[in-house]
Amino acid sequence: MSKLKALRPYFLVAPQTIVLLIFLVLPIVLIGVVSFWEFNGYSMTPAFTLDNYRGVLTSSVTLDTYLNTFKYVVLVWAVCLAMAFPVAYFLSFCIDNPRLQVILFLICTIPFWTSNIIRMIAWIPVLGREGLVNQALTGLGLVETPVAWLLYSDFAVVVGLVYLYAFFMIAPIFNSLMRIDRRLITAAQDMGASGFQILKEVILPLAAPGISIGSIFVVTLVMGEFITVRLMGGGQSASVGKLINTQIGSLQYPLAAANAVVLLAVTLLLVVLILRTVDVRKEM
Amino acid sequence: MAKVTRRKMIQTGLAAGAFLTATRCSSAPKGTPNNPATGPEVNTNQSKEVTLRFIGTGVSQINEIRDKAQEDLGFKLDMRALSTEENNQIAITQPGQYDIFDGEYFSLPLVVPSGNLQALDISRIKNWDKIVPFFTTGKFKGMPVENSQGTTPFTVMYLTGPDSTEFSPTPTDYATLVPFQYNADTLGYRPDLTGRQIESWSALFDEEFKGKTSILDIPQIGIMDAAMVAEAAGLMTFADKGNMTKKEIDQITEILKEQKRNGQFRAFWKTFDESVNLMTSGEVILQSMWSPAVTAVRAKEIECIYAPLKEGYRGWGGGIGLSQNLEGMALDAAYEYMNWMLDGWVGSFLGRQGYYSAVPETAKEYMTPEEWAYWYEGEPAASDIVDPFGNTLEKAGAVRDGGSFEERFGNIVVWNSTMDENTYLVQKWNEFIAS
Amino acid sequence: MLKKRSLSFYLLLIFFCLFVLFLYGPIIAIVLLSLQGPDGQLMFPVRSFGVYWLGQVFQEQRVGNFVEPFKRSLTLGLLVTAIAIAVSVPAAMAFRSRFRGASVILYLTIASLIVPSVLVSLGIGILFQVMGWPTNWFSSGLGAHLTWTVPFAFLIMLGVFNRFDPSYEEAARDLGASGVKTFQEIVLPLIAPSLIGITILGFTLSYDEFTRTSLVSGQDNTLPLEVFGMTTNVTSPALYALGTLTTIFSFAMIAIAYSGYRIYSQRQRGG
Repeated sequence: MSKLKALRPYFLVAPQTIVLLIFLVLPIVLIGVVSFWEFNGYSMTPAFTLDNYRGVLTSSVTLDTYLNTFKYVVLVWAVCLAMAFPVAYFLSFCIDNPRLQVILFLICTIPFWTSNIIRMIAWIPVLGREGLVNQALTGLGLVETPVAWLLYSDFAVVVGLVYLYAFFMIAPIFNSLMRIDRRLITAAQDMGASGFQILKEVILPLAAPGISIGSIFVVTLVMGEFITVRLMGGGQSASVGKLINTQIGSLQYPLAAANAVVLLAVTLLLVVLILRTVDVRKEM
Repeated sequence: MAKVTRRKMIQTGLAAGAFLTATRCSSAPKGTPNNPATGPEVNTNQSKEVTLRFIGTGVSQINEIRDKAQEDLGFKLDMRALSTEENNQIAITQPGQYDIFDGEYFSLPLVVPSGNLQALDISRIKNWDKIVPFFTTGKFKGMPVENSQGTTPFTVMYLTGPDSTEFSPTPTDYATLVPFQYNADTLGYRPDLTGRQIESWSALFDEEFKGKTSILDIPQIGIMDAAMVAEAAGLMTFADKGNMTKKEIDQITEILKEQKRNGQFRAFWKTFDESVNLMTSGEVILQSMWSPAVTAVRAKEIECIYAPLKEGYRGWGGGIGLSQNLEGMALDAAYEYMNWMLDGWVGSFLGRQGYYSAVPETAKEYMTPEEWAYWYEGEPAASDIVDPFGNTLEKAGAVRDGGSFEERFGNIVVWNSTMDENTYLVQKWNEFIAS
Repeated sequence: MLKKRSLSFYLLLIFFCLFVLFLYGPIIAIVLLSLQGPDGQLMFPVRSFGVYWLGQVFQEQRVGNFVEPFKRSLTLGLLVTAIAIAVSVPAAMAFRSRFRGASVILYLTIASLIVPSVLVSLGIGILFQVMGWPTNWFSSGLGAHLTWTVPFAFLIMLGVFNRFDPSYEEAARDLGASGVKTFQEIVLPLIAPSLIGITILGFTLSYDEFTRTSLVSGQDNTLPLEVFGMTTNVTSPALYALGTLTTIFSFAMIAIAYSGYRIYSQRQRGG
């Protein structure tokens, strides 16, 4: 009987673990295996070759692509954070009425529940050469010829990614801020701390776990991103995800797999780095 | 994380009922077959059970064609519009997903070795002998196209035997694809925005169009456009553009990367509709284009010229092939469709978008003399030219860009190509796109 | 509420309003562009006003259509949600007691969220190819969606059970109720609101999923894939009209969910 009881947790976690083993672990193991296979224009054959990794690791394009992807990661992360923190702060500290708080939070999150692709293409009539922003700029006489870098550029990619993923930063930060015991702030005020000091010494450290959870989401989402990079970059901007996707499109699975293994390693490294700086276990 | 999400979740709870209501609302009318009652009755009763699943690109996976075929033939067709890339990918890796492969000749050196296509029995194709001879024999009135470079349809048209996956350089009784549409491709531009006539491929790299050009992102096609441009601009020469050496591939991708770095391109496109959107929105004013894209831009009352260029055209040819898993009644139905396809209606339908039919003489029967004169003979339009979707493309008096069928088709100098170094090319091309 | 607002309050308010404008601006733009007459184009200015393109969404497109993929995505979303709940609730319950390997399972689940999506798609694609199975939205596509929804469901349930008072169950068991009965009578009613939440979240995550599904949906597209196909194949405002309709669908879902919750909580208070 007690033996059965000891086995109970394993029965309970078994279904979920099986699902993840089949659809997550096994596929990733296979990616690892295939990354050593050979390929030609139309098929791949089991083998053991290091050519794919040699191709990935020695190509200057790989480095450029990673640098470009890191550029997106850093920019998107910074903008998301700069945007999410004040918004979450405003919601949690400046709005006292809980009902209004809920409604405002909903207003901020509803767009994130609608289709990503639709939200992406919505930027085209706004940022295009003949788009709203340019019409406004030329109409006001601020520029003579339409600004081209608004669309199909790194700028557009960053705007698109921030637009898609800001939510993943707002929600955890808001959660952290809401958990801060308001008495701590009163105490700090009583001790004569300035608003800035309270922010720096009390609020920020307590919001850190939320920030790092949000950062993990944003960083990992952007690392593998390709669809936004394609749509907003006009097919011109590079990212690791897009490179992998292009290779898949031309049936170079082993090469794509080798790239994917490298991507996975880099992403996990970034996650570990983030976790090193902040202990997030409290948030669980 | 958990707390916020959970709270929000609870607040947004209870919506399950909403899904059900929403589903009901969405089962709106489907504008499908116009009059399903017609069609041959007596002997095709059984084949009415057949559904042929097509894969192809948006160029020819058109609902109007499907509806007309269903009406005339009595069995069902299921069409899927994919990008060229996905089309090849599925043809090679997912043979179970299609019965008929609607693809381009340049794809064949990749698709045929996979063994997913079965050889066509030419004797079952009624109009085979009427197909434009360039496809079946490689000859075309002694014009430049006879010496064109690249994967010319003729070189991948025949198989050495009924179960072979090897191409035969000379005609046999077994074919890979039945051709039905093809064209001479070139650059398209908006004369209102370029301010001048475009006469050479080299214009794509002209400083004056910096940031306003586009090239298509399909390696085996884009590289040919790029080669035409680089050669015209005097940047490099090729021994054989249709079969480049590794060194030539390195050199041309280097040129492309440099152009990209300098901001010459505005965007890249993968399906022809993307090129339409780029052109109509004014993002791009000069780019690689396909003819239905040009007609689509014109249908929106925006001027667009499909430039006849002095260096000649880039050709492509599309046809349909049989999946290995077709047999019995479904196989008969597939042949029935092929014969119907060459019978003229499809040819005329596609002809009104600017494509050429593999059997022009049957297409002619379904076109008005005015249409025929405009599209095939390069004569001024005697009346307004209307596309198959009812949009007016040209007012009376207009002349087709590039002139007659002979002038255009005869001056093809390269074809979309799968080269010996295809794997290397794709790799370098991807680097260019990712650079 | 009458206390004097500081300058920083107003600065934050302005920032918040700009953020909301950023969120809604593009959506408003496509709603406007979708409400055009037949002569409408993809770019501003709006030429004429009408609902022509909204109607076009339900008509057959030149290539493809929206209605079938919508039904598919709906079915898939419900299926994914049901499975996610069925596997994550027991798994989270298991974590209420200590057991060897618990942290491995936890990390595995979190890994499922942070692995770049393209790997899941590529991996499942290779798995099915190597095994010679055909990819389909209801097999490989379903699996891809589970890697995204199950971890969310699990983490939420973990949070729920963390704050769950085990004394109710102990009381029930003391009164002689069986394990199954305790779950039905005690646990289920208590976690029901969270389950509804997971349903909405899981459904939405699945309904919008693109990247993980992109290589493994097989021959029939889910709605996001079809919409992406449309971005490359549609050259008319029907595309924006579809955007408007799906946005209205999402808004309606949230509105119904919210009012449903309010009725539910009022009844709780009343009863």
